[in-house]
Amino acid sequence: MSVSRARGGSCRTEKPVFAVETMADEEEDPPFEEDTEEAGGGTDGGQGKRKRLFSKELRCMMYGFGDDQNPYTESVDILEDLVIEFITEMTHKAMSIGRQGRVQVEDIVFLIRKDPRKFARVKDLLTMNEELKRARKAFDEANYGS
Amino acid sequence: FTSQSCAAKKIKIEIKEKKEKKHKVDEDEIQKMQILVSSFSEEQLNRYEMYRRSAFPKAAIKRLIQSITGTSVSQNVVIAMSGISKVFVGEVVEEALDVCEKWGESPPLQPKHMREAVRRLKSRGQIPNSKYKKIIFH
Repeated sequence: MSVSRARGGSCRTEKPVFAVETMADEEEDPPFEEDTEEAGGGTDGGQGKRKRLFSKELRCMMYGFGDDQNPYTESVDILEDLVIEFITEMTHKAMSIGRQGRVQVEDIVFLIRKDPRKFARVKDLLTMNEELKRARKAFDEANYGS
Repeated sequence: FTSQSCAAKKIKIEIKEKKEKKHKVDEDEIQKMQILVSSFSEEQLNRYEMYRRSAFPKAAIKRLIQSITGTSVSQNVVIAMSGISKVFVGEVVEEALDVCEKWGESPPLQPKHMREAVRRLKSRGQIPNSKYKKIIFH
């Protein structure tokens, strides 16, 4: 497979799901770009016809974390499905603990307590958010008179 | 009496010193980061900017969570969920890059790298799975 291949949106939507396995071995590079705009995204048969929610943001994220500047669309789709599944699992778990049927921050923090990276990140984010809120409030009060 | 207050004082001083030490370590970290970033090539700067700035759109995350709970969720929940989702993406991508390198291949990451990465993370318990058997990938 050619390493210089830059764009990933080359999978034809009519291909059956298992063809994704062989995509990497293809020598041909058909110039179909439709997959990136397609609402269905036919390469991953498991998720059906859900519209892609995070394609743009995920591409930037993948590049930031070390992937190529133009990640393959199929890989982005796989990641999106993974993220949605992750959020779904976390949400269901959070609903089942603490106050039932609701998702609260304390529940999320409890669920990831064993994962040091995620735990530290949530703590940081929430702390920063509090600081920002305080700063904004102080700013607004300072301007109240004017 | 006095032995108790002495012990309490000691603990207070220890906590204060620990805080100061942590503060100094944080400052060192910040300085080191600044030196590192200032030595980045343009390509590295681009990637670093994407790493820092990329984020999930809050509205879409909120909609997703609320479609599952059926109730509304607070802003903090959206912030927390977006944050850990990004960390999750990072873990998968980094693992996939390891796999890619181990197989003697190069980016862009291919689905087979992603799938192997997920397999490895799952075996280390880093991917939540409350279902016994779920076929995501063919």
